[in-house]
Amino acid sequence: MTARVVMKLRVEAARLATPGVLHLTLVHASRPELPAWEPGAHVDLRLPDGRIRQYSLCGDPQDRRTYQIAIKREDAGRGASRWAHDALVEGAVAHVSAPRNNFPIREAARHVFVLGGIGVTPGLPMAHSLAAEGADVAVHFCARSAADAPLLAELSAACGDRLSTWFSAEGRRFDPRAVGPYCEGACLYVCGPQRLLDAVRDAADALGWPETSIHAEAFQATLDENFKPEPFEAKLASTGATLHVPADRSLLEVLRDHGVTMPSSCELGVCGSCVCGYRDGVVIHRDAVISVADRQDRIAPCVSRARVSVTLDL
Amino acid sequence: MRDDDTPQDALGGSPAPGPALAMVEAFAHAAGSIARHVAGGATGFKGVLLHIHVAPGASYEMEELQEAQCVAGRGIVGDRYYEGSGTYSPKPDTREVTLIEQEALDALARNDPPLQGGPIALAPGDHRRNLTVRGVPLNHLVGRRFRVGDVILRGGRLNFPCKYLEELLGLQVYLPLYNRSGLNCGIERGGVIRPGDAIELLDDDGA
Repeated sequence: MTARVVMKLRVEAARLATPGVLHLTLVHASRPELPAWEPGAHVDLRLPDGRIRQYSLCGDPQDRRTYQIAIKREDAGRGASRWAHDALVEGAVAHVSAPRNNFPIREAARHVFVLGGIGVTPGLPMAHSLAAEGADVAVHFCARSAADAPLLAELSAACGDRLSTWFSAEGRRFDPRAVGPYCEGACLYVCGPQRLLDAVRDAADALGWPETSIHAEAFQATLDENFKPEPFEAKLASTGATLHVPADRSLLEVLRDHGVTMPSSCELGVCGSCVCGYRDGVVIHRDAVISVADRQDRIAPCVSRARVSVTLDL
Repeated sequence: MRDDDTPQDALGGSPAPGPALAMVEAFAHAAGSIARHVAGGATGFKGVLLHIHVAPGASYEMEELQEAQCVAGRGIVGDRYYEGSGTYSPKPDTREVTLIEQEALDALARNDPPLQGGPIALAPGDHRRNLTVRGVPLNHLVGRRFRVGDVILRGGRLNFPCKYLEELLGLQVYLPLYNRSGLNCGIERGGVIRPGDAIELLDDDGA
């Protein structure tokens, strides 16, 4: 993963897409064009206390003048979305990174999307781009009601009759079996709350979808309140140095203390900035970004740990 | 839009400052301290300051200034290395002010030498050096004193391209910038600099 430049972008327009979702149009103060991006990409939004939050770009990649993001107000959250809703008014300046993409469109014969609520944000440009190419696309959009479904009009315009809506308050609760049986070369994208991801994975598994055909985007690290961190040793392959990682510190912090500067961003295991390789050892993966296949030799040192010891490709 | 039409920075302008500075005086740097006692190099040039750029924090886009306050022993007010919040701030080094030659950027833009895929056009400030200069042989100025307007700089070491810059830009600039990436300087005498200021070598009397 790579470092990304941080830009000061002006809020050109701020509107409520639904009562709880703030939709922002961001422009650069001096550059006519913003860095290019591919559907599925996100940007980092910097908060005043130094924290960083990721938001998917939900506008049109062809529009190089603006970025669009949508932020759901989470009153029970840690304050990031409340701050954004209150501070990012028209004319305000937001500190925003150049985009990166952890959720790209895959090579596939058929693309099936399951989008839940604010999970529509990466899905909208992805589905729009695929539909415009004439690809085989099906989109399921789940929300409580049409009024609570952000960017519904845009998604509907992009997808036409490829879109199925599921509004629970209107008696049409999403049935994950709607993804249908797996067919060769198909790809399933799921973006939304963890329980939707879990339900879709279970249903897809039963319908014959291989693990490798399912791509999930959760901008929230896997919650695991029972996890008890243990101390371990981290060895650097290049120098042979062994670093002790105490139970109350992250591997990333300990690496930093020893002058091993790694790029990092969210430090929640979701952005992938700090991911590096490892050679041996039993790693306890706690991130939400490294695919199952890559977990054999990749680790996110901001959240992941090891049993006893691990050798890092650093 | 608010009444006064001034953009209101949601973060109050700048990210939080970083840890204490780890600045190495230019002529105490391993490179500068040796070069000071080696004669040679271009003299008699008269160059000009074209652009001043600072970044308010690590990874932040560079912003162009029409004038800048240079503070001896510290850096340019408003820059990440003045604030101690730069990517490399924790690492002791000479980086109060960094300079790059416009001639090197021009060469990149015409793909000379042709070591990269094609011409590389860097927008002003994308190189992340503070001062863009013309007519100044920066590679000759390690261990030398020179003035930019009324400000006196000391060449501490050659600048070196970094992979971090490649990542930020998404451009393969590492090899193309090699040996023409500019100069890291300390500030001997502070003051205000502006584009258009003259740049000249000084005798080695005040050091």
